[in-house]
Amino acid sequence: MLGFSVALRPDVLWYGFLGCLVGTLVGVLPGIGPLSGISILLPITFGLDATKAIVMLAGIYYGSQYGGSTTSILMRIPGEASSVMTCIDGYAMARNGRAGAALCIAAVGSWIAGTFGVVVLTAIAPPLAAFALRFGPPEYTALLVLGLIFLAYMSSTSLPRTLLMAAIGLLLGTIGIDNLTGHFRYSFDIVELGDGIGIVPVAVGLFGLGEILSTPSATVVGQVMAPKLRELLPNRKEWRQSGWPIARGSVLGFLIGLTPGSAHIISSFLSYAVERKLSKHPEEFGHGAVAGVAGPESANNAASTGAFVPMLALGLPTGPVTAVLMAALIIHGVQPGPQLVNEHPDVFWGFVASMYVGNVLLLLLNLLLVGLFVNVLRIPYSYLYPLVIMFCVIGVYTVNNSIVDVWIMLNIGVLGYFLRKLGLDPAPLVLGLVISPTFELSLRQSLIMSNGYWTIFFTRPIALALFLTAALLLSLSLFALTRKHADWRTKLAEAEAGEGAQ
Amino acid sequence: MTLRADHVAGGAAIAAALAVLAVSGDLPFGTLAFPGAGMMPKLVCALMMMFGAILVVRGAASAPFSDIGWSDLPHAVRVLAITAAAVALYTTLGFVVTMSLMLFALIAFEGRNLLAAAVYSVGVSLLTYWLFTLVLKSPLEQGILGF
Repeated sequence: MLGFSVALRPDVLWYGFLGCLVGTLVGVLPGIGPLSGISILLPITFGLDATKAIVMLAGIYYGSQYGGSTTSILMRIPGEASSVMTCIDGYAMARNGRAGAALCIAAVGSWIAGTFGVVVLTAIAPPLAAFALRFGPPEYTALLVLGLIFLAYMSSTSLPRTLLMAAIGLLLGTIGIDNLTGHFRYSFDIVELGDGIGIVPVAVGLFGLGEILSTPSATVVGQVMAPKLRELLPNRKEWRQSGWPIARGSVLGFLIGLTPGSAHIISSFLSYAVERKLSKHPEEFGHGAVAGVAGPESANNAASTGAFVPMLALGLPTGPVTAVLMAALIIHGVQPGPQLVNEHPDVFWGFVASMYVGNVLLLLLNLLLVGLFVNVLRIPYSYLYPLVIMFCVIGVYTVNNSIVDVWIMLNIGVLGYFLRKLGLDPAPLVLGLVISPTFELSLRQSLIMSNGYWTIFFTRPIALALFLTAALLLSLSLFALTRKHADWRTKLAEAEAGEGAQ
Repeated sequence: MTLRADHVAGGAAIAAALAVLAVSGDLPFGTLAFPGAGMMPKLVCALMMMFGAILVVRGAASAPFSDIGWSDLPHAVRVLAITAAAVALYTTLGFVVTMSLMLFALIAFEGRNLLAAAVYSVGVSLLTYWLFTLVLKSPLEQGILGF
């Protein structure tokens, strides 16, 4: 009830609505993901209190999952990476004259999955946070190692590539003054580097500028199909066909969302594969199968909600977006983690309750304003991308009023361009950067408190259990690395290839 | 032997780690009982070299480096040069002038109508300045011209 009394306050409701609206636009526009959207708009929240800031920024995140389906269905261009699978059957439905029904199923599926995710989040986050109060430095070290290994296991690229990116992030995180000894590390007499490299310049550089550098305007083409409003309601058969895929997508997406990695992307791919496998008519997939829209769209929304559980309860970001959201909370003086429920109950419960409200707002927004969003897609890319660059510059500069941060963003943008060329996923780099200070501190504290005996990590039950799980996952990844056919990525690629062949 | 994407990625990672180690001389590693400021960076550099070496060894599985398309490079260089020039001028000329020039240059190079580009650039810059300064109370850089 405390949560709803906060979330339904007119001012909080307004910022929640604003976040959902901007998030839908971010999802609709190709080339701008939720991460760059949140990073660019982060400085705007500095004048707000922590509750309004997190409600607005989270609204952008889950709003983008709703909006991403619009371009997938109407243009066959995924507005957001997690909407790639919706392109296949969503666009096919649109060509069959069912664009409105596809949009409605995607919006309703997203709403059910999002609400389901928030219900489970409400139930499990507080007890998980209470359990995490038993964690000391060795347990946190083990948890972060497990997070990195899990990230590598779930990543869409190979184990060494993911861990290499995470290592670069960890290294960037060591720049600045060492908290324990006061040494300046790699600051090269640049005063601004004494505080380290911020997550915003890195995230905006990699995902905002980096994306634009590798996307010339000549490559952004596509015809927009305008749905008729009267065709928005699916027929009885389509409702029936979407029921179980939405249910399965919600559960699958939430569970995958709990794990580190690109969960919202992976969940939509897996959901599509599951629906195709379970379907009595797999031949319909690729030609406008309702389940091919309902399942993946539900899964990516449930995953984006699931990702909030480890962030709120453990203070552990599972992806770059939750990492930026965590950074936003810290900037506002709120430390996410086990103490959050007790120390800032209004922020915690207000945020959770705002997601119930936000999902209803998004359902209405995506059904009633679909015509408006379609018109946004008609803005030529050559006018749009300079605007995004301008917001990248403003977003980064306004955080600390530091031009050095903007130069860092430019350099990281170049790095992001070359990483894309070499097929390396930049997301683990951001995650490594965010966990680097906590990881280093907990590792060194553990060694200091054990007087240098590294066995401390294996004599405490929780740390031991976490390390054993990490070792198991590492073994599975190494097994998959040596026997390529055993890798789930290879199987998924084969399933997709089979799909494309049809 | 064909040079592949992973050979380049792995080689670059090893080179970067060696460069970081070279400038880490003054950072003490410390002992296990009291780890120093250099422990974490040096451990991470070792990991980077290990993963880089794995990529180089297993590089045959990746795409040939010559197959990577560089058709977007002129666009990337142009965008980067214009943005870098704008960043260099930002604190001196202020938000409205710098961003108007940056937007105009980026759109003009795309071959769009110059008048439309000019109107769009100035309009968007002024609107954004008004939005941030007056509505969001988040002042933007004013520069020597005062806006």
